Amino acid sequence: MSSSSPSGSGGDLSERRGIPAAKFIQDVETYLSQSSLDSNSALAFHQESEVFCPVILLFRLQQYKVVEMKLLAQQRDLQVYFSPPLCRLVPFCDEASLVAKIPDIEKCLEVVGTLEARKGTGEALLADFEVSEGIYSRACIEDTDSVCLWLGANVMLEYSCEEATALLKNNLENAKASLEVLVADLQFLRDQVTVTQVTIARIYNYDVQQRRVKQVAPTAITAADS
Amino acid sequence: MMQQGKSSSSGSEMQVTWEDQQNINTFSRLNNRFHELEDDIKFAKEKCDNLEDAGNELILSDEEMVRFQIGEVFAHMPREEVETKIEEMKEATCKSLEKLQQEKESIVSQMAELKKVLYAKFKDSINLEED
Repeated sequence: MSSSSPSGSGGDLSERRGIPAAKFIQDVETYLSQSSLDSNSALAFHQESEVFCPVILLFRLQQYKVVEMKLLAQQRDLQVYFSPPLCRLVPFCDEASLVAKIPDIEKCLEVVGTLEARKGTGEALLADFEVSEGIYSRACIEDTDSVCLWLGANVMLEYSCEEATALLKNNLENAKASLEVLVADLQFLRDQVTVTQVTIARIYNYDVQQRRVKQVAPTAITAADS
Repeated sequence: MMQQGKSSSSGSEMQVTWEDQQNINTFSRLNNRFHELEDDIKFAKEKCDNLEDAGNELILSDEEMVRFQIGEVFAHMPREEVETKIEEMKEATCKSLEKLQQEKESIVSQMAELKKVLYAKFKDSINLEED
């Protein structure tokens, strides 16, 4: 299913993480004759752009769109801030919530940082937190060395402040790395979508041109005869 | 979004080379990045304005202990500390806003260059304007 990479374009991938690359066609005529398609056969009407184009290209385009939707959803998942009240009991969670979102991790880091900063002073930190929607309660946080981190799946572990900071920083790095890979995938995907769309347009133009030539040819012959 | 224009009535036989395709791909990427940046800039501006308002509110109020949001909770902090924090956050946000705007300007100029090149080759057969 994966197509070969275009010639003379060194360094291009023939596929990336399961996404096949769109083959760039140097010459439309050669491509059509090689795939034994002519202007009339094996073309389908593509509703959106209202052109006739090879079925396989349409299919490819649809596949790309599906993958794009999935990747965009993953990206939103990583970047959107999801804010549960502190005391809420999280029901048995699915995979998505095991990977904490980037803003969440950053907020946790901020809180741990504040607690660490206060460690030496010995004064308690008064904090107002949300018990439920619209209801807040006051907490008095004594000078402490440890924090508890919610790891997901109804598991909470106690860590020292340094360990907690290290763990959170690690998670943040991983989340940011995943996001980068995701963004690169999306860029690759968009390139393939563009190549496919351009190919479809070129085949259509070629088709139009061929029809025009066919129309002109009979008239030219009759003109020559008369 | 960039669209591929249909051939004009002259029935142009323009060949699309790999280099052209790469230019089109680059333009598409830049266009996407441009829209993302616009959203990011809007968000950063809002944040900057909010911090500005918060700073002003703080000056007007005369409470000693202010509740400052850290993560999920509102921590009681002395006024000066909160002032300092807000200043820091404002500076950071403004700097990142500047960076975003610079990136946006560079992208706009790159896109203008590519438009020139592509229009020169394809004239009417390509449409690089927004919908």
